[in-house]
Amino acid sequence: MESGRDDFVIAIRSAFLKKGTQQRFSLLGLIFFSIVFLILGSLNFKPVYYVKTIITEIVYRSSYIVSGPENFLKNNYAAINNHFKLYEENKKNIIKIKSLKKKDLSKQIITLENIKYKKLIDDYFIKDNETFAKVLIDKQSPFLRSIIINKGSKNNIKLGMIALDEGYLVGNVVEVNYLTSRVLLISDINSKIPVTLQPGDTQAIMSGKSRKSGVLQYIQEKNLKNINKELMVITSGAGGLFISGIPVGKIKSEENDLNNSGRIVHFYKNFSQLKYVKVVSYSKDKESLDMLSKKDSKKQEEKVEKTIDEVEQKKESLRILLEQKKIADEIRIKIEEENNFLKIKITQQQNEIMIIKNDIKESTIQKEEIKFLKLNLLYGHKCRKTIFNNLYKVNSKKYKTCVFDKGVKKN
Amino acid sequence: MSKIYQRNIVAKIYKLIPITLLFISVLNEVDFNNLGMKYFSFNFAYILIFYYSLKKTEGFSYSLIFIAGLFNDVVVGTPMGISSLIYLLLCGAASYLRNITLRPNLMKDWIFFLITISIVKSISYLVLTFIFGYEVILFDQIINIIFTFIFYLIFIYLFDFIRIYFMGRY
Repeated sequence: MESGRDDFVIAIRSAFLKKGTQQRFSLLGLIFFSIVFLILGSLNFKPVYYVKTIITEIVYRSSYIVSGPENFLKNNYAAINNHFKLYEENKKNIIKIKSLKKKDLSKQIITLENIKYKKLIDDYFIKDNETFAKVLIDKQSPFLRSIIINKGSKNNIKLGMIALDEGYLVGNVVEVNYLTSRVLLISDINSKIPVTLQPGDTQAIMSGKSRKSGVLQYIQEKNLKNINKELMVITSGAGGLFISGIPVGKIKSEENDLNNSGRIVHFYKNFSQLKYVKVVSYSKDKESLDMLSKKDSKKQEEKVEKTIDEVEQKKESLRILLEQKKIADEIRIKIEEENNFLKIKITQQQNEIMIIKNDIKESTIQKEEIKFLKLNLLYGHKCRKTIFNNLYKVNSKKYKTCVFDKGVKKN
Repeated sequence: MSKIYQRNIVAKIYKLIPITLLFISVLNEVDFNNLGMKYFSFNFAYILIFYYSLKKTEGFSYSLIFIAGLFNDVVVGTPMGISSLIYLLLCGAASYLRNITLRPNLMKDWIFFLITISIVKSISYLVLTFIFGYEVILFDQIINIIFTFIFYLIFIYLFDFIRIYFMGRY
């Protein structure tokens, strides 16, 4: 029993305390060191913070280099794949563009009206800082789904700034270094985003779930069950973290009436394909239209109204043009119908002429027959072959000629 | 003479393979912990560290493993030092197993690996959840342990093949 315990102690001592031939530190020493690192790091100890910053800068850059070959292969694969899908995509895009063009005018009007109303309630934000950044590392670890971008405090990146991709929400900046920053993606389990569900204006908090979806938490049930169509999820602006109205994702209509835990938000963006992001911060518009400053900003209002009028005029002229086109189409259809009718009539008349011609031909033949029969009665005996003469056989061609000549012609 | 020199170079290259693989796996964007597949992930670094610590490979020093752990923390975004601690605990467990083993047995190593990764993952989970307030999904961690355990056997044959290719059978 004693010796067994001794063996265990010896083995442990040998494993943790003994230094190998090329080992500078013992295992226990390094374990102790990492624990100290952890504790001091959690206490925000300054030297540890500096070490961390230096390591961070080195690692982000070297990770970008190490990931180079893999990214090269990935990008080429994506490029080839896109090339094969190009034709089909083009077809779809043409149809999409047509439908979008129709919606564009009404959207312009709604946007302008929206700005006007937002200004009235002093909730209109304008971009005060906008930077485009390249995604250096897209390491979506199980603990933290985040990306590293190549802009840091040097480029005026600040904590809490919003990262967007094509206008869709990607995440917010949670760590800023001198040359790089970390953006926490909205797909991360730790990100809690105040959102609004439209239509219905239901408020909720969204947390990340997987790479392509999030889950709604703290939601009021009563409004949601009555709506049976696809819900749009946008930021609500509550808490002041994000501005309101940034699109996040959608809830499919078939998943609408599920219980609270199963309400899944499908993100508009695929976060595994991020290459560049736009990092922005917003500030309130100084020219707000609250009751006091209403008089000062009359010009602004007039400008907005003028633009609305212009858009209305354009809409009216478009409507007239569409009416004209409709009338022209109707006339064209009528002419085509008449044309078809006349064509049919011509064909019928041509057929009738053909029948008349045939009749005339037949009557001419009959007349000739009658004439032959008459002459045959009178002069047939002069042409018919008998035992006593050597004339023509009855019904032969020469006989007919002889009858028409009223007998054999003498030269 | 040239044959001895050539053998020396091959041995040097072989010595660098494990630590290079570890740093590449830590710095690369391909994370076997998160391949995007539902219910599938495994920890390549754990297998690598345990195997080469068990084989007591030269050049696979604890200090470099410690640094690799720090790099991993920076890339993944976990608190600095947690991965180093986990990696070094894995080294310690492998070293302990090496000391108490007279006749190496693959099955025993494999079972010991399962116990070790279960313990280190539990430590990691406890530290991240209770001390640093991270939200970690326990089910994903269990799946990760199971697949790491299964894949250990596959990678052992691969690493053995590399060892035999470079160094010969003995």
